[in-house]
Amino acid sequence: MTDVIKEDQVLDCSGMLCPMPVVKTFKAMKELQSGQILKMVATDPGAPPDMEAWSRQTGNELLRSMTEGGKFIFYIKKK
Amino acid sequence: MLWKTNDPEIKKILYVQTHGEKDPERTATPFFLATAGAAMDNEVCIYFTMNGPQCLEKGNGDKIVIPRKGGNGKELKYFIDQALDLGVRLLVCQPSLDLHGYTMDDMIEGVEMIGGAAFNDMACDADAVIAF
Repeated sequence: MTDVIKEDQVLDCSGMLCPMPVVKTFKAMKELQSGQILKMVATDPGAPPDMEAWSRQTGNELLRSMTEGGKFIFYIKKK
Repeated sequence: MLWKTNDPEIKKILYVQTHGEKDPERTATPFFLATAGAAMDNEVCIYFTMNGPQCLEKGNGDKIVIPRKGGNGKELKYFIDQALDLGVRLLVCQPSLDLHGYTMDDMIEGVEMIGGAAFNDMACDADAVIAF
């Protein structure tokens, strides 16, 4: 059983193709305060490697990356 | 120096686009990758040379359609607007303007003109240069 992560905001990128999930995440993160958590949902199969790279490059921590019911779910903490 | 950032944490990526209206399938990707690059907190420019400036001619954004299997092509303007929205800078090569009989008035809003020396200066200072 994994710990529950409580998000501050949810961003649904279902149906969007690369690079839109990254672009929308970038914009959504700008609205958050340091330490707040964004939950992003995507269906683009490129999203898991993209979000991992995006987090590494921008320094925003990818707390969890998971698959649920055919969707990719990411929890990202603003640096 | 033409790059705006002095921050070593911010990476500088320079894309080069040489294709234009004859190769619509080769026009969107530089904008597309530049958009993703800008969304990763990098400073990103695209340099348009050879036929590249045709991508930036006023009205061509609607005329150039990126073909997709099964129809439903997308206009280039969609990709240009996405890049501009994230602050990607569009630089045009002066001699390539002449090549097509363009002046800066033929270019869409926001395009900047640079020459060959400036391009090489930017390339030497970039973290990555990617040419199409």
